[in-house]
Amino acid sequence: MAKTILAVDDSGSLRQMVAFSLKAAGYDVVSAVDGQDGLNKAKEKTVDLVLTDQNMPIMDGLTLIKNLRDLGSYQKVPILMLTTESSDEMKAKGKAAGANGWLVKPFDPKRLIEVVQKVIG
Amino acid sequence: MTAVAEHGKQHLLEVEADLMQTTFLLSGAIEKLGASFMAIHETVTAQQQRIDSLISAIELPQDEVQSITEYREKIGEEVNAAITGLQFQDMTSQLIARTIKRMNGLSELLAALATHGDGMETEHEHEDIARLLAEMNASLSTRNDELKGGLRKSVAQHDMDSGEIELF
Repeated sequence: MAKTILAVDDSGSLRQMVAFSLKAAGYDVVSAVDGQDGLNKAKEKTVDLVLTDQNMPIMDGLTLIKNLRDLGSYQKVPILMLTTESSDEMKAKGKAAGANGWLVKPFDPKRLIEVVQKVIG
Repeated sequence: MTAVAEHGKQHLLEVEADLMQTTFLLSGAIEKLGASFMAIHETVTAQQQRIDSLISAIELPQDEVQSITEYREKIGEEVNAAITGLQFQDMTSQLIARTIKRMNGLSELLAALATHGDGMETEHEHEDIARLLAEMNASLSTRNDELKGGLRKSVAQHDMDSGEIELF
C-alpha cells in the first residue's frame, strides 16, 4: 500500500510540482493550501510524512508543526520543511518546533524523492 | 516639500501598478506552463508505453533499444530540470509582495513628509524648522520600525539551482 504524504504550500504551482514528483515515485499525496488547511487534513487522516512550506497565509509552517506535534498521532510522524527560507536562524526555529529536515526551494525532484525515501522508505 | 512628496507618491503608485500587473502576468504564465508541462508529460508517457509494447512485440536491434533507452533517460532528466525551473513563480511572487509592502511603506513615509512639510515655511526661524524636522524624523522612525517586521526577506536565492537539504 502506497504511503501518504501531506504537502502544504500556498503556491499552486509548487503544490502541482510537489504532487507530480511524489506521485511519480509511487506515493499518495494530499495537498493543502496553508497551515490551517494542512492541520485540518492531517486530523482527517494520519499521513506518513508532512512536507510543508513556511511562509503561508492564515497559518505558517512553524505553527503547523507545533500544532501537529501537540496531536498524539503526529508526535513521531516525520515533518520536512520545503521553503525558500535558508537562514540558520529559521532552520533552528524549525528544528525547535519539531521539524525533521529542511529543504530549500527550488527543489530537484530526484533529490526530493531520495530524501523522502530515506525518511519514510 | 508637500509637492515633492506628492510627486514621489505618484511615481510609487505607478510602480505598484506595474508590479501588480507583473504578478498577474507571472501567475498566468505559470498556470499555462504548468498545464502544458502536464499535458506534454502525459503524452510522452503514453508514447513511451507504446514504444515498450512495440519493443516487446518486434525484435529490434540492440543498438536501437539502447538508443530508445538513452532518449528516455534524457527526457527524465529534462522533466526534472523543468520541475525545478517551474518553481520560479513561488519566489518571484514573494519578492514582488515584499517590494509592494516596501513601496506602501515608502508612500506612507512620503505622506508623513507632506504633513510635516506643510507647516514648514521658508520665513520660519531656524528653531521652528529644526523642530519640524525633528518631528518628521520621529514620525518616519516610528513608521520604519512598524514596517521592519513585515519586510523580512524570505527569498535569498539568486538563481534557479536546487536548494540545500539538511536532515536534523
